[in-house]
Amino acid sequence: MSAKVLEALKKKLGDKLLATESAHTDDTAVIDRATLVDAATFLRDDPEMAFDAPVFVTCIDRLDLGLEPRFEVCFQLRSTVHRHRVRLKVPLQEKDPVLPSLTPLWPGFNWQERETFDMYGIQFDGHPDLRRIYLYEEFVGYPLRKDYPKDKRQPLVRRDDLD
Amino acid sequence: MADTKTLVLGHKNAEDFDRDEPIPNELMTINMGPSHPAMHGTVRIVLTVDGERVEAADVQPGYLHRCFEKEAEYATYTQIFPYTDRLNYVSPMLNNVGFAMAVEKLLDLTDQIPERAEYIRVLVGEISRITDHLTCVGASVMELGAFTAFLYALKAREWFYELLEELSGARLTHAYVRVGGVVKDLTPDFKERLSHILDKLEPVIVEMEGLLTENKVFYDRMVDVGPFTAEDAIAHGLTGPVLRACGVDYDVRKDFPYSVYDRFEFDVPVGTRGDCYDRYLVRVFELRQSIRILRQAMQQIPEGPVVIDDPRVALPQKKSTYNTIEAMIRHFKHIMDGIRVPAGEAYTFIEGGNGELGFFIKSDGSGRPYKCYVRSPSFVQLSSVSKTMHGHLISDIVPIFGMINMIGGECDK
Amino acid sequence: MSDDTTTQAEAPPPNTVTLTIDGQQVTVPKGTNVLEAAKTLGNDISAFCYHPGLSIAACCRQCLVSIEKNPKLQPSCQTTAADGMVVETKDERSSTARKQMLEFTLVNHPIDCPICDKAGECTLQRLYFDNDNQASRVDVPKVHKRKVVDLGPTIVLDQERCILCTRCIRVCDEVAGQHQLEMANRGNHEELGTAPGAVLDNPYSMNTVDVCPVGALTAKDFRFKLRAWELYMTPSVCTGCATGCNVEIHHQNGRAWRLVPRHNPDVNNYWMCDEGRYSYHDLRHQRLAGPEVDGLPSGWDQAIATAAEKLSAALSKERGSVGVVLSSQHTNEANYLLAKLANDMWQLENIYLGGKRPMPERADDILRDADTNPNTAGVKAILGDRAAEGIAALEADLIGGELSALLVLGQDLTLSPEAAEAVDRLDTLVVIADREVRIAKGADVVLANAAWAELDGTMTNRQGRVQRLHPAFPPPGQALPAWEIIVRLARAMSAAMSYDDVNAVFTEMKGKVPEFADAEWGRAARPIQLRFANSRG
Repeated sequence: MSAKVLEALKKKLGDKLLATESAHTDDTAVIDRATLVDAATFLRDDPEMAFDAPVFVTCIDRLDLGLEPRFEVCFQLRSTVHRHRVRLKVPLQEKDPVLPSLTPLWPGFNWQERETFDMYGIQFDGHPDLRRIYLYEEFVGYPLRKDYPKDKRQPLVRRDDLD
Repeated sequence: MADTKTLVLGHKNAEDFDRDEPIPNELMTINMGPSHPAMHGTVRIVLTVDGERVEAADVQPGYLHRCFEKEAEYATYTQIFPYTDRLNYVSPMLNNVGFAMAVEKLLDLTDQIPERAEYIRVLVGEISRITDHLTCVGASVMELGAFTAFLYALKAREWFYELLEELSGARLTHAYVRVGGVVKDLTPDFKERLSHILDKLEPVIVEMEGLLTENKVFYDRMVDVGPFTAEDAIAHGLTGPVLRACGVDYDVRKDFPYSVYDRFEFDVPVGTRGDCYDRYLVRVFELRQSIRILRQAMQQIPEGPVVIDDPRVALPQKKSTYNTIEAMIRHFKHIMDGIRVPAGEAYTFIEGGNGELGFFIKSDGSGRPYKCYVRSPSFVQLSSVSKTMHGHLISDIVPIFGMINMIGGECDK
Repeated sequence: MSDDTTTQAEAPPPNTVTLTIDGQQVTVPKGTNVLEAAKTLGNDISAFCYHPGLSIAACCRQCLVSIEKNPKLQPSCQTTAADGMVVETKDERSSTARKQMLEFTLVNHPIDCPICDKAGECTLQRLYFDNDNQASRVDVPKVHKRKVVDLGPTIVLDQERCILCTRCIRVCDEVAGQHQLEMANRGNHEELGTAPGAVLDNPYSMNTVDVCPVGALTAKDFRFKLRAWELYMTPSVCTGCATGCNVEIHHQNGRAWRLVPRHNPDVNNYWMCDEGRYSYHDLRHQRLAGPEVDGLPSGWDQAIATAAEKLSAALSKERGSVGVVLSSQHTNEANYLLAKLANDMWQLENIYLGGKRPMPERADDILRDADTNPNTAGVKAILGDRAAEGIAALEADLIGGELSALLVLGQDLTLSPEAAEAVDRLDTLVVIADREVRIAKGADVVLANAAWAELDGTMTNRQGRVQRLHPAFPPPGQALPAWEIIVRLARAMSAAMSYDDVNAVFTEMKGKVPEFADAEWGRAARPIQLRFANSRG
C-alpha cells in the first residue's frame, strides 16, 4: 500500500536499509539503530513523506523463535496528509538493548516508549523520563519477555513508612 | 468574641488587607486518585499546585493493568475474545471486531467474511459506539454537577445494553464476534427493537443537549479548557473525537475504510478550538451519525450465513459434532489447538469509541499469537493530559479528564 | 582452491542418492525411504503404521505418494529413495488418496474423543485436521467391538479405536523380542488381541502405548488421571539403572504424572522399560520437606551447624575413623563436591561408594542393566585413581568397629542386618537424603535434598555418556539440591568452597576429570506445554 515510502527510504538510506517487508498490506523497513534518528527525521520532515502521526512503539522478543538478534523494536508511523503508513524495525541484541528515543521527534511516543521499557527492558536514549509506567518501581524483571514465567511471584515490598 | 480581622493572617487592621505584597506561598504536592470519583477507572495524578493552579502533573496509570498481552500469548485466538471485551469495556463489541479483523488479516480472509456477518458487526459496533459516547458524556457532566443529564444518558444506554444482552447473553462482556464472522445470528426481533430504541434515543439526545449545550455554566466550565492545536494533537498521536475536535478530519472509517463502512452515508464532525466543549459537541454529533449508520445498515443487511464456511477457521455444527467422528475431531482440534494462523505479523486498526484502536499481532504458525499488542487510544490520549492541565485550575482537571474518555481497561490493558 | 571461473557442480558425497520431491532436490544417504527424505525438507507426509524405530509394514496406506513412471501410487515408507526419482506429494492424486484413506480409517471409529486418553496427542486427530477436514458420509451404523479388554498387567485395549496399524505387534516382536500381540479376523471385523496363550506382560509393554497412534492402548498407570493437554514436559534422564534412558517428565502443578522416552539414537532409541516408567511414583513417597536433627524437624542453619559440629569433633578426635559414602544414585556434581571435601580438604582414607545392590536377573540385551544405579560410571570417573571401596568393605568396617562417624550421601544404602546394627552404634551419622527410609531413619542429622526430577545436574551412564538432567518442578518444602547442601556444610566447617550455581561446579569438574572432557552443559530447558507442542504419537 505504501510501496513508494519504502522506495524513498531505499533511495535515502541506500545500504543502511537492512531489509524491507511487505505483507498483509503493511510495509516494514528494517534499519540499524544508528540510522534510526536520521531515517525518522527524514520521514517526518520530507514533504513527500510527511509522517506526522506516531501510532505505536513496541518490541518483539524472538527468544522462542530461536532468532538472533533477540529484540526487534517496532515503530509505526502514519501520515495524516498522504494517508500512508510505515513500520520501522530496529533489531537489538540481548546484551545491549539500547536505542535512541524518538520522543523528541514525536511526543506521542513518550508513554509508549516507557511502556516498552517497562515490559521488555529496552532503554531509550534521550527519553525525557524513562521510568516504569504500568508496574510499580520495585518490580523485578521485565514481564513480557519470553523467559519471564507467567506465574512468577514477586518479592514483597517493604513499606518503611508504616513502622 | 475575638475580632475576625485579627484572626486572618495576623493582621490587626482592615487597611492591611489592601497592601500589594503577595501572600507568601509555596508549591504544594497533592495526590489525586487512584481512588477518586473523578479519576475514571483508577488513575493517579500527582499534582504540583500553586494554590489552585496546576503547575505540573505526573499522571500515573497502571492500577488496572491486567496483563492482557501476556495472557494473550498463552491463550488460543478464540480464547482471547473475552479478554478483548474487557479492554474498552463500555464499547466491547468494537474491541471484538478489531481483534477478529486482525486475525482475519493474517489468515487472508478479510474479503471472504460473509456479508451478513459484516453488517452484523457494523450494527453491534455502532451500538457500542453509542454506548461509549453516552457513558463518556454522561459521566463527565455528572462530575461537573449535572446529575440529570447523567441519568438521561445512562437510561438510554441501558436500552442498548438490554438489547445486546438478548443477543449475546451479557450486558458488557459479549465475546460475540469470532474469527470468520460472529458466533450466532441476530435475534428474530432485533431490527424492530433496535429501530424502536433509536426512535426513543433521539428525543433523549435532544433533552440532554437542551440541558447542556447552551447552558452558561456548562459553557464556562468547558470552553477554552484543555485546548490543543491541530499540529500538537497529531504529534501527540491523538485520534478519535479528541483529534477531530482540534479540527483534523481523521476518521478510520472514512480514511482507511474497512468492513462495509464504505456503503453508508455519514458525516464526520470536526471542531475548531480543540477544547473540552468541542469534544463534547463532536461526541453528541457522532451519536446522531451512528444512529444514521444503524438505520442504513438495518435496511441494507442481507440474509445469509453468519460465519465463513472454512473448516480451518469455523467450528462445525453441534449436530454433526455429536454424531460423526469427523466433526468431533474438527471441533476438538479447534478448541484445543486454536485456529492455526500462518506465521506473519500485521497491524489492523479500526475506529474505536476513543480513536484508532489497533491490534498488532505476530503469529508463529501455531494456534496462539506470538505477540498481541493493543494500540489503545486512551493510553495515548492520557499521555497528553499533563500538558493540557498545565496552567488550569484543579477544578478544570475534571472536564479535561472526562472529555478525553479515558477508559481504565483500555488504557492499562 | 582453483581460480578458474567456470563453476563446477560439486560431486555428491559417496553413498548418497539425489531425488526430487515436489520440485525440490534433496540428497539423502543410500537406503533412506522417501518418507524420511521428505521429512528432511520439512514435508511431513501423513502416516500411521510407519515408525522409524520399527520394521516397515506399509499396511495403513496413508503415506501414498505419486512417483514418476509408476502407474499406481506408492507407499513412501516402503519405497527406497533412488537417484533421479521424481516424487509428488501434494498433487491431486496423492491428496485425494490421503483424504480417502483417512475417510476409511474414520468410518468405524467411535466418537470417543471426550473420554479418550489420547485426545490432545492423537495422531488420527492431527492427520485428519491437517489433511482431510471433510464432513462424514457415513449413514449406516458403525461396527462395534469390545471396549475394555485387559491385555495384561499394564495395558487396557479398546478394540473399536484401533486403526489396525500393527505398530504394537512390531514393538513386542522387535523391541521386547516376545510375540504377545496379534491381529485376528479380516476386513471390518479385524481386531487386536493377545497371541494364543500369551499375556501382554513383557518388560517393555508400555512402549506400545507410546507408539499407538490412537487411544486404543492405554496404560493402567495413567489412564483417566489427567488430560494430555494439561501436562508440561521437561527433558531428563531415567535414574532406574545405569542405561540412562532419556525421558520426558510430564508434570503439572508441581508433580510428575508420567514418564515417556525421549528419542536418543545412541542410548535408548525410542524406548524405555516399564520399571523405569514407574520410577516417578517414589517422588512423592515419604519425602523429607526439611532437615531433621535427632528425628525432629529443624531449620537449615541449625541442622548444618549441628552436623558441622559433630563432624568437626569426629575429625579432630580421630581422622581415620571418619567415613564418607559417595552415591552412585546422585549427580556427578554432588559426588564431585563430596569427593573434593573428603579427599582434598579432609584427607580421609575411608571413602566408600554406596548405592543399590546389583540385580543380575534384571539384565537383558535390550535396555535393562544389572546395575540399578544410574551414575556408577560417573562416580568412578570422579574418583579416578583413588579407588572407592564398595558396600561390602563398608559393612566390614562398620561391624569391625573401625568407624565412629559417617557422612552418607543418599539413603539407598542397603546394609546387612549386622551392619545396620553397627550403624546405630556410630557416634555421628549425617545423611543427605530425600526420603526418610533405611539409613536416613535414626540418623543424627538428616539433610533433605531434592530428588532426581527436581535436580539440575549430570549423570554418566554405562556407556560413559554424560547426560544432563533438568528440573521439572521445585523440591518439596525447603529441600535443597545435594551440591548446595555439601557446599553449605563445607563452609560451616571452614572449608573454602564457593560456587554461584551448579554450572560452575560442572565447569570445574569438567576440567579435573578426564572422562568428562567432552561433556557439555547445554541450555536450560523451560517446561513446554504439551498442548501446543504438536501431537506426540
